[in-house]
Amino acid sequence: MKSVVKFAITLGLIAAITGFALAIVYQITKPIIEAQDLKALEQGLSEIFPGDYEFVKLDKPISSKDPSVQITESYLVKDKSTQKNVGMVARVVVPGSQAPIEMLVGIKSDGTVSGVKILKLNETAGLGANADNPKYYVDKKNKITFLGQFIGKNVEKDKLIPKEDIIAMSGATITSRAISTGVKVAGQAIVSYLKEAGQ
Amino acid sequence: MKKKLNVIWNAIIPNNPVLIISIGLCSVIAVSNSVQSALLMTFAFAMVQIPSNIIVSAMRKIIPNEIRVPIFVTVIAAFTTIAALISQAYFNAVYQIIKLYILLVVVNCIIIGRAEAFAYQNGIFDSFLDGVGNTIGYGLVLVTIAVVRELIGKGALAGIQILPDSYQPMLLMVLPPSGFIMIGILTGAIETYLRKKGGKK
Repeated sequence: MKSVVKFAITLGLIAAITGFALAIVYQITKPIIEAQDLKALEQGLSEIFPGDYEFVKLDKPISSKDPSVQITESYLVKDKSTQKNVGMVARVVVPGSQAPIEMLVGIKSDGTVSGVKILKLNETAGLGANADNPKYYVDKKNKITFLGQFIGKNVEKDKLIPKEDIIAMSGATITSRAISTGVKVAGQAIVSYLKEAGQ
Repeated sequence: MKKKLNVIWNAIIPNNPVLIISIGLCSVIAVSNSVQSALLMTFAFAMVQIPSNIIVSAMRKIIPNEIRVPIFVTVIAAFTTIAALISQAYFNAVYQIIKLYILLVVVNCIIIGRAEAFAYQNGIFDSFLDGVGNTIGYGLVLVTIAVVRELIGKGALAGIQILPDSYQPMLLMVLPPSGFIMIGILTGAIETYLRKKGGKK
């Protein structure tokens, strides 16, 4: 009985010390990590809608119809001079082949894709990770990347299904499908939101 | 002095954790398809292996024998989290690719194996040397495999295209099976060397 108490105290003490050490490192690295995330987000937004636009974050993100596709944040895109809505960007989380994929999906008011940008990706290096690779072309002749091929596609009229109107990445069927579904579902949610807001 | 050097040497070649003892293979296979990933993984490994060896060795007299494993795991887990936070803060691009495997250092058999088999029974300085030796032994294998796999599988080294565009990359080399093949080849080489030297069999 005595030894049990001793073990508990030893283990508890060691856990307390390591916990304290972790808290210190966490505090030091937190601002750097947060700044990186924010920078990635801002960069992503301006890459998707290049030009003089203002991004207004909605208090409550728009809702997605597919439970596997989560929309965590949404940003209305406004023209700075006319203050008119030109589209919307949604921050989307879809299940990948290994871990959730986080991405930004930008849709113009006419329902076409303005751009797709990956924020977090943990797919297999050399296969699914190519989704994010600016030098991996699904169309080598025209130098179109996997994400690049979505630009200009209409989320209502086009199917956005890999191997039909989307070129899948070789060896990464699940990743290709997850991203395509995410773009399609988030795109449709944005279009229906913009339609309601326009009325 | 020679004895101290022997501690390092032992962990690199005669008792190489990956090739001879054959532990911790999961992460070796998973991250060895690009040189950048291999280097960051080695860094994370060093950040956990060396300090945890030192701490376990320093506390070996006050750690009760019955609960040594949970204590090892607590110490290793703390250093793993620290390594992950530092990697995320300063090497974010590569970290995002191999995040999972850095977090899995916590259950890497090599680290807990060294804590149990070496650091728990030896002095602080020797344990430090053993940690360094194992890191070199692990990193050397990882980087060697990564160089071959990235060159053949992607035509690149550390993310820089080396072979001309006309080279058709061999997809197998970035997939996990080539990790096993490479480990097999290296184990064969190292065994041949050890047998010739030691005159075994």
